Amino acid sequence: MAKLSSAQDLAKKKKELQQPRNNWVKVGMSSCGLAAGAQEVYDTLVEESRKRNMQIQIQKCGCQGMCYAEPLVEVSVEGLPVVVYGRVNRETAVKILDKHVAGKMLVNDSVFDLNT
Amino acid sequence: MDKKIIFIKDTDSQAADRTRDFYTAFLDQLREDGLQDEVQVLRVADIGIYSQGVVVKVLPAGMTYGKVKDADIKRIIESSVKKDQVVEDLLLKREPKQLRIVLRNCGVIDPDSIDEYIAADGYAALAKVIHGYTPEKVIEELKASGLRGRGGAGYPTWMKWNFTRQSKSEEKYIICNADEGDPGAYMDRSVLEGDPHSVIEGMIIAGFAIGASNGFFYIRAEYPLAVERINKAIKQAYDYGLLGSNILGSNFSFDLDVRLGAGAFVCGEETALIASIEGRRGTPRPRPPYPSREGLWGKPTAINNVETLANIAAIILRGGKWFSSIGTEKSKGTKVFALTGKVKNSGLVEVPMGTTLRDIVFDIGGGTISGKGIKAVQTGGPSGGVIPKEYLDTPVDYENLQKLGSIMGSGGMIVMDEDDCMVDITKFYLGFCVDESCGKCAPCRLGGYQLLGMLTRISEGHGVAGDLEKIRKISEAMRKASLCGLGQTASNPVSSTLNYFESEYKEHILSKKCPAHKCKHLITYSIMQGRCKRCRVCVMNCPVNAIGGDRETGFYIELDKCIKCGKCFEACKFSAILKE
Amino acid sequence: MVKAKINGIAVTAEEGATILEAARKVQVKIPTLCKHPDLVSSAACGICIVKIKGTSKMLRACCTPLEEGMDIVTHDPEIVSIRKTILELILSNHPNDCLKCGRNNNCELQTLFADFGIREEVFTKSLRELPVDNSTGTIVLDPSKCILCGRCVKVCQEMQDVWALSFLERGYGTRISPAGDIKLADSPCIRCGQCSNHCPTGAIVELDQTAKVWEELLNPAKYCVVQIAPAVRVAIGEAFGFPIGANLTKKLYAMLRRLGFEAVFDTNFGADVTIMEEASEFVERFAHSKGPLPLITTCCPSWVDFMEKFHSDMIKHFSSCKSPHQIVGVLTKTYYARKNNLDPKNIVMVSIMPCTAKKYEIKRCEEMYASGCQDIDVALTTRELARMIKQAGIDFNNLPDEEPDHILGDYTGAGVIFGATGGVMEAALRTAHHLITGKDLKNIEFEGLRGLDGVKETEVNIEGKTIKVAIAHGLNNVEYVLNKIRQAKKDNLPLPYHFVEVMACLGGCVGGGGQPYGVTDELRRKRAEGLYQDDRGKKIRYSHENPYVKKLYQEFLGEPLGAKSEQLLHTHYRSLPLYSK
Repeated sequence: MAKLSSAQDLAKKKKELQQPRNNWVKVGMSSCGLAAGAQEVYDTLVEESRKRNMQIQIQKCGCQGMCYAEPLVEVSVEGLPVVVYGRVNRETAVKILDKHVAGKMLVNDSVFDLNT
Repeated sequence: MDKKIIFIKDTDSQAADRTRDFYTAFLDQLREDGLQDEVQVLRVADIGIYSQGVVVKVLPAGMTYGKVKDADIKRIIESSVKKDQVVEDLLLKREPKQLRIVLRNCGVIDPDSIDEYIAADGYAALAKVIHGYTPEKVIEELKASGLRGRGGAGYPTWMKWNFTRQSKSEEKYIICNADEGDPGAYMDRSVLEGDPHSVIEGMIIAGFAIGASNGFFYIRAEYPLAVERINKAIKQAYDYGLLGSNILGSNFSFDLDVRLGAGAFVCGEETALIASIEGRRGTPRPRPPYPSREGLWGKPTAINNVETLANIAAIILRGGKWFSSIGTEKSKGTKVFALTGKVKNSGLVEVPMGTTLRDIVFDIGGGTISGKGIKAVQTGGPSGGVIPKEYLDTPVDYENLQKLGSIMGSGGMIVMDEDDCMVDITKFYLGFCVDESCGKCAPCRLGGYQLLGMLTRISEGHGVAGDLEKIRKISEAMRKASLCGLGQTASNPVSSTLNYFESEYKEHILSKKCPAHKCKHLITYSIMQGRCKRCRVCVMNCPVNAIGGDRETGFYIELDKCIKCGKCFEACKFSAILKE
Repeated sequence: MVKAKINGIAVTAEEGATILEAARKVQVKIPTLCKHPDLVSSAACGICIVKIKGTSKMLRACCTPLEEGMDIVTHDPEIVSIRKTILELILSNHPNDCLKCGRNNNCELQTLFADFGIREEVFTKSLRELPVDNSTGTIVLDPSKCILCGRCVKVCQEMQDVWALSFLERGYGTRISPAGDIKLADSPCIRCGQCSNHCPTGAIVELDQTAKVWEELLNPAKYCVVQIAPAVRVAIGEAFGFPIGANLTKKLYAMLRRLGFEAVFDTNFGADVTIMEEASEFVERFAHSKGPLPLITTCCPSWVDFMEKFHSDMIKHFSSCKSPHQIVGVLTKTYYARKNNLDPKNIVMVSIMPCTAKKYEIKRCEEMYASGCQDIDVALTTRELARMIKQAGIDFNNLPDEEPDHILGDYTGAGVIFGATGGVMEAALRTAHHLITGKDLKNIEFEGLRGLDGVKETEVNIEGKTIKVAIAHGLNNVEYVLNKIRQAKKDNLPLPYHFVEVMACLGGCVGGGGQPYGVTDELRRKRAEGLYQDDRGKKIRYSHENPYVKKLYQEFLGEPLGAKSEQLLHTHYRSLPLYSK
């Protein structure tokens, strides 16, 4: 990695990085999420999306604060609101890919729409 | 144009859940209107609103309706789905209660990626400071912000930095205190794990302000993931030249390293923390001299909490004035709380200072998980106290909590319902402090031990008149004569519960009763013959064969055998076991 | 200077002075327990709390600096009540063993309980059952009596740099012990006994061997002989109400005779002999280049132990000469025994020492048996002797003066100053000057060698030759001196010193671990002054002029460093592991 040797370098770097990004799935992978099974959810998402050859980025993120509902998965798909799924397991993870990402339909009984 | 989606959730916890009924009803109505393919109806797991009956939210516009009745379905579809109009009489005003400054990136960016942090304005504050601020100006900005230490004591951060800056020395240090140890508190862990660079950036800026060229993270070893992420983040920052020599082409150089704590709670106390980093036994020493004059290896040292440091970049970027516009008169900005206990939505919340406990517990936390009444809220961890339900409308800030006999502490907030016994809770906190006392000073070491012994006796039905007087006496001696903050505040849970719930203590001592039916030695189980269906489930569940009798004559509990485990009480489907 | 008020009385104190120190200036005594004047405050006990008028927060007087304008209250009902509660808490965790405790009637904790009128045990008694450690044969550690003031740990780590004692575990379970929970004898402990001297309670005391001495004294088959070390004579009086530093040599002689000793000798005589040997050794090395320089003194057994454990690379610099009491011991059982037709096996030699390590030294290695049997049978500390005097019903204060027994009892001024830091060096230089020049010094008092500075460095000129000397006392001061020597050797630079004296205890033997309690620098100075006064009062102030020493060499030893001397008066050293298990 090249060192950033001035404030301009940093600003330039930021600009490069700020490409708008759609179509991503984020899994909360802090201690609370991992304790609730986030690793399995993450692995499932990576594995299953690859199998289905989906154009979606599976990403990691920290704790959103809703620890009671971990593992949390946030989904952004074009044309749909960004939503957070809670208490996600393998099964829901697959549903998220098939229904939400592929079918553009949100998955029932799993959305945590907190007013944060 | 985005597709329309209707969120549905029955938010009454007491009655049967009617989410599905409304879901079907909405679908039916949409089908009737021929809209079934254009609109999705969704049952959501949680809609962030509580005790407002059936709540319906129409997206993408986002209007939210509460207490929706069957008759309202048609109206909602007519106005809000077909036309984007608001049904005024059902509308719920949803003002976001949370405000995320510290947690701004947590759960948003990938903590392992410095690029994502930079894309989210990361290190912009550092660049701004290094290339345009004098150290004095940084401190001025902090002064204007009114930021106070989030570790517990609430000491103004700018003053701490200023004292350290003014101390003359070739070498100075900045330490990030990440030895979070209060039971139930994990704000710092979350920040370190979710947004490590924000803390690193705060530390570099602190180093610039106080004139330190070295910093240390002191992280407890029980946080392996936080340690891993911080280490990774430090490496990334070095790779980018954001740490090391001549940061961003300036004359300022700063190095950062990690030291692990071995898990002693007292090592969160700054002088003990310093001793621990230096490789000595982690016990506090008297202050003065304060670390700002003589800290790590005798050099001036500023020690800041994780949450404090995570605020710094935001303050620099948006200005001290902006920060000071949030919060109350003397407590500015936001505070992160770890909301736990008998609350429905346990987790981390970040609210502006001055938010009431009621808002936090009910609007964000969703009330008690049991649906029972709330009894009190404990703040400040083992150094804090309980705040009874009468004071739930108190705006939370440093001063108010102190007035109520508790403290802000690091941000643990534990909700207690009617099933919680105050003697029991106090015993728990005191047990923690006795366990964690370093043993150096007599008042804490022996006072805590004696207090715990007395509380244990009381909870076991062996309390005697005069105990409360002794408890008060020891508490006072600990508060006044302990060496460090841990000892001085270890008796707070006792004083505070005794202040608000003295009658509960007296019931334990004089009547040998635990009103919350929590203290095992003070409850008895018996079978109410009128309700008993003689199904023998209790007999099967009893681990010590303490239930005698037979189907003919009925069953009874042999009290001398009963170990009060409560298995029969839980197993009985007919509520025929009496707990008193 | 800082101006403030204490209990309404105006006080002026130096910048940085603590509230405790300032209060003393205006005759206000704030009670303390963990604080010891020798040590940086650990602030453990909380007894010394005071408050600032008008506030409720309390401060520890022992470690809080007085600030300008402070208005301090040191005693009011609330403060007294909290102090009392702390004492009651300590009592809940302290055995009621006073009547059979080594510190009975001389215990800081007991005194506080008495002062505060503690009449009942308010809190539930809860004692820790911890094993007693008497493995060193010199001190006894009873952790169940420990109140965790931390003095011993500070003494061991900071004052002596030994690190044998530390705190183990935490909270209520905290206790003092060698690291790793091993026995003291297996730890780096050097038996200096400073821990016992600083302990406010009976948690660390000297191993009491008075019973053994009584037994020998009452055994008609035994011929009991005694010697007293230089520092004992100026400290024993503290146990009997004499002014500090009073020299009670002659009363001690009388008293020891009344105790039943057949002959009363003086370790100071041995000191004179030590000088004959050690000064000769120095002259050999310095003037005749026979052996490495600097020469380092070895009178102090704790220092020897420390060196063998921590600095064994310095062994070749050590004087091989035994310490004075070992010399008196071996000469008693050889020279004296022969002259008086006594069977050395029937002689019991008791040394009265300011020191706990002497109990260890008497069995240190085979050379301590040079007479054919153990040269010294028992070493008692000053504190043990005080108890024996009381047990014997001797009115010590009103005893007449008596003289010592000859041939091992008469001493010079040089011999007596051994008890103060710098004294061995001073005595040695007096004789070395004579050995080199054949002449006596004009001014025999070396002021630069005296006093309580941790390291004293000075130069002495003997006929154009400069002797560079260093004196260190309190073992944490040693490393500086040794490192200077090591550095010079490494860099091939001129030696920083030719002659080095080390004493393990601050102030030298006057501040020894077996001396009466309550030691402070002021006490050390006064005790040392008692010795210097004795020196000044002596007609003979050179060891080599002691007529009995001359006689000893004529009749028995031959010459310093001669074959007989080597056999009886010298020893060897070996490297020891820090931890023996």
